[in-house]
This record gives sequence, structure tokens and C-alpha cells, in this order.
Amino acid sequence: MVHQKIGRILEYPFSGLIVFLVLGLFVPLVIPTYWVMVVTEILIMGLFATSFNLLFGYCGLLSFGQAGFFGVGAYVTALLLSKGVGSYILICIASITATLIAAYFIGYLCVRRDEIFFAMLSLGFGMMLFTIAHNWREVTGGSDGLPLSTVPPVDLGFSKISLFHPLHGYYFVLAFVFVGLCILQVVVHSHFGLMLKASRENKERLAFSGGNVASVRLVAFLMAGGLSGLAGMLFCIFNRMATPDMLHWSFSAKPVLMTILGGAEVFWGPFVGAVIFFVLEQLVTNITENWMFVLGLLLIPIVLFFPRGILGTVLNLMKSSGRGSHGQ
Amino acid sequence: MKRMFLAIFVIVACGMILAGPAVNATGKPVKLGFVYIMSGPFATYGQFAKRGAELAIDEINKQDGILGRKVVAFFEDSTGKPDVAARAFRKLVYQENVDCLIGLDSSGVAKSVVPLMNEMKTPLIITHAATPDVTGKVCNKYTFRISVNLAQNVKAAALIASETKAKTWTTVGPDYAFGHQSWEYFQKYLKELKPDVEFMPDDKVAFAPIKTTDFSPYITKIMHAKPEGVLISLWGGNLIDFVRQASEMGFFSGKWEVLMTLGAATEVLYALKDKMPEGIWVGTRYWFLGNDSPVNVAFREAYFKRFSEYPSYNAHGAYAAVQAYKAAAEKAQSTDKEAIVKALEGLKIELPVGTVVIRAEDHQALTPATWGRTAADPKYPIRVLNPIRTFPAEKVTPPVDKTGCEMH
Amino acid sequence: MDTFAINLLNGLCWGMLLFLISVGLTTVFGVMGVLNFAHGSLFMLGAYVAMQIMEWIPNFWIGLIIGPVVVAGLGIFIEVFLLRPVYRRDVTFQLLLTFAVLLVLDDAVRLIWGPAYHIVDPPPLLSGTISFFDQSYPLYRLFLLCFGPVVGLSLWFFFQKTRWGKVIRAAALDREMAEGVGIQVPRLFTLVFALGTWLAALGGALSAPYQSIGPSLGEKIIIESFIVVVVGGLGSFPGAFIGAIALGLLESFGTMFAGRVQMALPYLLLIVVLLFRPRGIFGKEV
Repeated sequence: MVHQKIGRILEYPFSGLIVFLVLGLFVPLVIPTYWVMVVTEILIMGLFATSFNLLFGYCGLLSFGQAGFFGVGAYVTALLLSKGVGSYILICIASITATLIAAYFIGYLCVRRDEIFFAMLSLGFGMMLFTIAHNWREVTGGSDGLPLSTVPPVDLGFSKISLFHPLHGYYFVLAFVFVGLCILQVVVHSHFGLMLKASRENKERLAFSGGNVASVRLVAFLMAGGLSGLAGMLFCIFNRMATPDMLHWSFSAKPVLMTILGGAEVFWGPFVGAVIFFVLEQLVTNITENWMFVLGLLLIPIVLFFPRGILGTVLNLMKSSGRGSHGQ
Repeated sequence: MKRMFLAIFVIVACGMILAGPAVNATGKPVKLGFVYIMSGPFATYGQFAKRGAELAIDEINKQDGILGRKVVAFFEDSTGKPDVAARAFRKLVYQENVDCLIGLDSSGVAKSVVPLMNEMKTPLIITHAATPDVTGKVCNKYTFRISVNLAQNVKAAALIASETKAKTWTTVGPDYAFGHQSWEYFQKYLKELKPDVEFMPDDKVAFAPIKTTDFSPYITKIMHAKPEGVLISLWGGNLIDFVRQASEMGFFSGKWEVLMTLGAATEVLYALKDKMPEGIWVGTRYWFLGNDSPVNVAFREAYFKRFSEYPSYNAHGAYAAVQAYKAAAEKAQSTDKEAIVKALEGLKIELPVGTVVIRAEDHQALTPATWGRTAADPKYPIRVLNPIRTFPAEKVTPPVDKTGCEMH
Repeated sequence: MDTFAINLLNGLCWGMLLFLISVGLTTVFGVMGVLNFAHGSLFMLGAYVAMQIMEWIPNFWIGLIIGPVVVAGLGIFIEVFLLRPVYRRDVTFQLLLTFAVLLVLDDAVRLIWGPAYHIVDPPPLLSGTISFFDQSYPLYRLFLLCFGPVVGLSLWFFFQKTRWGKVIRAAALDREMAEGVGIQVPRLFTLVFALGTWLAALGGALSAPYQSIGPSLGEKIIIESFIVVVVGGLGSFPGAFIGAIALGLLESFGTMFAGRVQMALPYLLLIVVLLFRPRGIFGKEV
């Protein structure tokens, strides 16, 4: 009975956002400071992974260069902040615009490819962006990146709020991430979302029925890119830095890992994957230095026994058990 | 709604379990937090640092600790990435409530995380990362460095270079800030010392990406540039590969002077053993045979007894930082963070490397820089330095007004 | 002229090493459809195991023969227990699974052999140098230069001319059909994966006297071998050969002429090839 109820609640498209907002607003009030900061990072990486999944889960396109866009967002933010720009709205608009421009050029060339070829092409472009960040020393600070000595307070009109306080930083990030997730949620439930899924299931049929696969994919690519850029902006503000590591392919592997961990077929899969990833990492590094070893060992059974990712598989079980009790 | 509360409860409970160690914060021990590269390609540096830190802490705890309090260490892995290092710092400061932070291998990481100290209000003693900027452009009140920095090391290189006959110089370095800065500083210092030297243009210097394992194209490039002197700022695995491949290709035939800024690092010498050519000028941040002061002999022997190897500069760095913290705490008679910062400024301390003063203005340690020529010695399994050249701190450290540091 | 010749030699040597690594990757993909992220780690393991054997029995050739066989044994284990359950799933699951294997292997190597760097000497027979244009050149590199084509040709011969090779190719083309005519495809796949692993480890063992051995060896090489395989055309031997040589030459000449852009060259090659030949140089167009 309980499963059934949860299953039904979960099927309402926007219930997830409400749960997210409630948890997001209250959890940080009751956890220790360090964990507030970890959860801040989870929010940012969760947004990054969810935007990646718009391509992966909904279009079937495995982007291995998503960190490139994340990095563009971070670098534009760092450049503007170091030039003394204090308005976060302006910074947000600028970094998303810059990311969209990059995503447009790269997407235009990538979206006609499928599967592994798309993955390798996006990897190539992502690494080109990495090389620019790493080698254009005059602008990007080269391998050192752009450290920010401080971040300006948020001007709310009636008062200025310093982001130095971990809780303030948290709510600042939460606001942007919530908006980002709302956009994604609306997109996947719209007519366009259906077209995306159609482009994944059957390219030819969509093409026959008059849909332009390439342009549908390009729009998805732009959205995923723009929101990755937003995540990058938040990451830059949170860590007070933009560094070339943020554009490297190993950084692109993170959203892939999180998404498959959580489940690519459900909207909240990547986010849950991000939570699991960070909590696991924290637990494992507490116990041993050989966290890669343990992470690998944990990952193997997850891949083998949770074919739809953890959230995906759990939801599936709930649904089928719910259906089972219907039958009885 | 009930379920929601349950969910919150579970998360809170998890959080409390995870945050468990924070409860101890009110206890007695002095807590030191270390952040080094413990995993991945450069894990060897973290391992050395951990050895040095543990040696120092065990020595201190065997006596009466710091101000009569026991010292405990917390080690975190930076993985060599700035964001991971930032998270490690947050964990140490906000969860473990450490009294002082020690560490950092990568210059890029150091430069990125140093600004965070302003918020964390916790002293940080850097022991390896050599970028001049952390005690220069991005210096701040809480950040100190106990080890030799790039400017000091390269100034010594320029002093040696100025004594040689070589007039045209080129470089082989890693293609990131460290390599480029080493070359930039070398040109600046050598030009001051010897105005008639020339430096090869950009198409005749070689910067290899850090993932390079085949250096033959770079070696060919430099050999065909026909320089009179070569400054090599490669380090670690890159340097090992370079030296092996270069000696096979006849690079060390004596046609030009070779200076390796980090050639006397023990991890390189242990890996290469007799493959390290003799008679090459090599630098380091600490050399275990650099002097025979009682402090150095004790450190060298204790380290060898425990780990069956001679101490590397990174082991020395961590060891030195712990000793410096102890000295600062005793000077301040407190472990209050602000008091420690004050006490570290201008602190004078006997370290294995020699007498070191931490400059109050930029927080850089005035520490001697060691260079020497590689030589075989049947008493040691690795190449040693003979002769050893120790440059006193005042000869190699740039004056405060040249560092670009403005302390706020 | 001599700069050109030496650079050509440098590029070809590096290309041969890349070929030895990529050929196993492309074989496994061509036959089984699995893109093995752990291939670089198996390459690294080959270097470590060969080094260990050479430490016990100080003979290069014994290490070179036994080391890769030991690693191939591990390959069989990975195929049977880990890869088999995911053949029918999406390629991303295979990527993730082999990524997990990569994490485990990379850390395991560090746990067993420690984080320090190791070096291996070339065999006495090949440790000398010969002179080219008043520059000495190591014999061992020239040995690699000859060894690469030998491996490539024997593999080509195996797959084109022998009965076993034909069976494998048949199974790769149509699994159901092969099963229908009584070929035990699972056992065949195990064999092919073991072969791929053996090739990776052989590359590792051969690279040991050439570069230092450390726990990052696999990570450095894997993306480059992915590029080689994709540029050449997935599953194609001549493709892997051409791709590897192209990348090797690009890197050696790039060092000379490209300056700051050099780091981007492999990725530029990847992008340009994929834009103009979406399936790689030797890939079959659809």
C-alpha cells in the first residue's frame, strides 16, 4: 500500500520539485556546517548531471565534453568577478550567454553524430576548450586558473548578504539550482520533451513525421549546455576559483557516473546519483586513502544489479509491486 | 507529510553520524590538518609528506607535546585538484576543527585555495607548492610557506649559470605555470647577473604537457637548437623519463651545461639510481646531506631508521611545518589561531635544512637553497651531490617589494 | 633534413607503441562491441607484472613472455564475471563497468607496488645506441619500430587466413548465425577478450624500458588510444595502424612547429576526422 502511494505521488510531474524544495530549504538548518557545504556542492553537481541527462537520458546522446560548458560558465564568472562586476544577475546572464554561444557552434557540428561517435566528438571539443583554458595564459591564467580573492555580497535591495557564511552560500546556490531544475522539468514534460524522446527511440520515424532530428537535438544541446554553464557559474562562486580541471574530460565523466548511478531514465536519477556519489565519497575517504579502489568495487555491483540505476530500479520495483497489489 | 518528516529525520540522523568526530573538538589535543596528494599519479609526494609529518608528531608526542598537549594529525587527499583540496580544507576546518593547516603539493591548487584562508581564518603552512604567487600576488594574513619557493630555487640556478661559460640558454619544462614561470624567472635573474647572455626564442624552447611519457621530440628539438646551457624544470616521473631518454640520445655528452631545478629530489634519484648522469647541476628544496648540524643528522637518521630511505624534500617540508607550528605555539604560549599567525611572523627556527626565518612581510621562509653536482658515491645507493652549493637565504630571496605581496 | 628524419623516427616509434596499445582495444570492440575503458590500466598492469617478473628472474625476455600471459588470465576473469552480464545492455553500461575496473586496477597497482616510480632496463642485446646524423639513437626504439608491424601483420594473418580467425569474424558479424552453426560464442568472446588484454599487457611490457612505470601510466594512455581507434575506424586493424602512426607523427612534428597549440593536436585530429569521415578513416560508412 505504502509503495503504491509513493509510486502514485512520484508520477505527478512536479511533486519531485516540491519535495526537492522542502528538503532543500530545511535540511541545511539541521546538519553541521561542513555538510552544508557538501550539500551545496551536491546541488551544483546535481544540476550539472541533470542537465547532462537531458542529452543522455532523453536524446540518447552521451556527451563526454559537458565539462567544457561547465568550465565556460565558471571562467566567464571568474573573469567578470575579478574585473569587479558585482551583479550576480549580470554575471548569470553573461555566463549563460557565453556558454550558449560555445554550445551552438559545438552542437551544430556534433548533433548529426550518434552513439560513440557523438561521445568522442564531444570529448574532442571539450578538450579543445580545456586546451584554451589551459594555454591562453594571458586571459585564463593558464594552468593556475583564476583564483578569486573574494566574492561580492548579494544585493537584495533592502540588505546585502555576504556569501562567506556557508548557509548564505547554500541558499544562494539553492535558488539558482531550483530555477534550473524547474526549467528542465518543464522542458521534459512539454511537447518538446516528447519530441526528444521520440528522437531517441526512433530517429527515422521522427524524421518521417516531419520532425527535424538535428534541430531538436541542437535545442536540447543548447539547453544542456546553458544549464551546465549555470552550474559552472555556481561552482566558481562557491569555490572562488575557475581552473582548467573543470573542463577536463575526467570532470565530464562525473555527471556520466552520477547519472548512471542514479538512473538515466528518471528525471531525478542524476540528482540522486549526485547525492549517492558525494555521500559515498565522504564515507569512503573517511575510512581509507584508497577511495578509488573502494568506489570501483562498489560501482561494479551497482552496474551489474541496478540496470536502471539506483533510483530507476527502486522506482521500478515500487511500481511493479504497486501493480502487483492492484492485481490482488 | 509524516513521510517527509521521516525523511528529514533520517537525513539529520545520517548527518549527525557522519559529523561524529566534531564532538571531540572540545577535547585537549592540538589538531593539525594535512592536505597532500594521496592518490593518483603523484601519490608518492603525499606519502613522503605523511612520513615526515608522522615522524615529527611522534617525536613531539614522545616528549611533552605542544604546550603539554598531545598532537593529533588528520590527513586529507587533495588528489591534485583545486576543488577537492578546497573541500578537504573545509572538512578539516569546519568538521575536525583543526588548529592549523599544513600541506599542498601543486602550485595551481595552492594558488586557487589560498584565498579561502581569509574566510576560514586558520593558519596554513605550505610545504611544497613553489609558486611565488602564494607569498606574492595572492598572499594573505593566514598563509605561510616553510619551503623553498620557485624564485629562490631559480635564483640559485641563475647564480650557478652565471659562473659557467654558457651564453645562450634554452629550457625544457612542463607545460604549465610552473615550467613557464621557472623559465621566466631564470631569464630575469640571469640577465641581471650577466647582461651578455642570450635566451632562445619561443620556437627553440620546449614545454611538454604533463602527461608526456615520450620526450624524444623535445630532446631532438633542444639538441638541434644547439644551446650552450639548458635549464630543466621537469620533475617527478617526467624528469625520470626525460633523463633516461635523453641520455640514450646523447643529450648529456657535455656539449652544454645542464641545470635541473628539481633534479636532486630523492624520488627521482631512487628511481634512476646509476642512470642519473654524473656531473650535472641539480637543485632541490632540501638535501639530506646538505649539512651536518645535529638537527639534520637526527632527522636524517631517524627517518632512515624508520623508512629505510633517505628523506625527500617533501618529507622535510611536512616535518619542518610541524616543528614550526610547535615553535610558534611555544612562542605565543597559545594555540589560538590569531596568536599563531602572529607568532609565525618573524619566527626563527632551527630546521634540518638550516636556520630559517619566516619573513613577516610576505610569510615566505627565508631558507637556504641547495644545489650541487651529481656524483657517484659507493656509500649511497643513489647519486649524491658533490660539491654541494648552499646559497644563503638572503642571496636568493627576492626583496619584499619585488614579491608583489600586499598583506591586508 | 636531419631534424626531419629524427622527428620522423621519433613519431614512428611513439606511433608503434600507440599501435600496440590500440590494436587490442580495436579488436575487442570489433568483435565484441565493447569499448574497454580499463584497457589502459591493463596496459599499465602489463608493465608492472613484467617488471616484477624481471625482478625475480633477471631476464627481459622471460618477463616479456610471462607478464602479458598473467595479465591475460586476469582478462579472462574480467570477461567471465563482469562483462558477460552486460553484453546485451547499452554501450554506456560497458563503459561504466570498465571504468569501475579501471578505478580498482589503478588503485590496486598502487597498493601492491607503492606510489613510487620504477624503471626497467632494456635487454643487453638492445641497450646500445646507433648513430644517425651525428646523434645517437637508442636501439630499443628501433626494435619497437620493427616489432609493431610484426604484431600487426600476425594479427591480420590470424584473422584473415586461419580458421579460428574466420570463426571469430563470423561471430562478430552475426552472433545468432554463428551460434546457429554450432560456434560457442561465449567461449570465443572470452578468448578474444583475453587476446585483447594480452595485447594491452604486451604493449605495457614493451613500453617498460622506454618510459618510467608509475600508477598513472594507464590514465595517460587511454584517451590517446581511444582517439587512435576512433580516428582509424572502430574495429579496423589498418585503421588502428594508420591512426597510431598519424597521432605519433602529429605529436613529434607538433612539438617542433605547433608551439602552444600542441596540446590540442590529438583532439583536433579527432574532430577533423570525425567531421569529414564520421566512422573514421577505415570505418564502414552507413
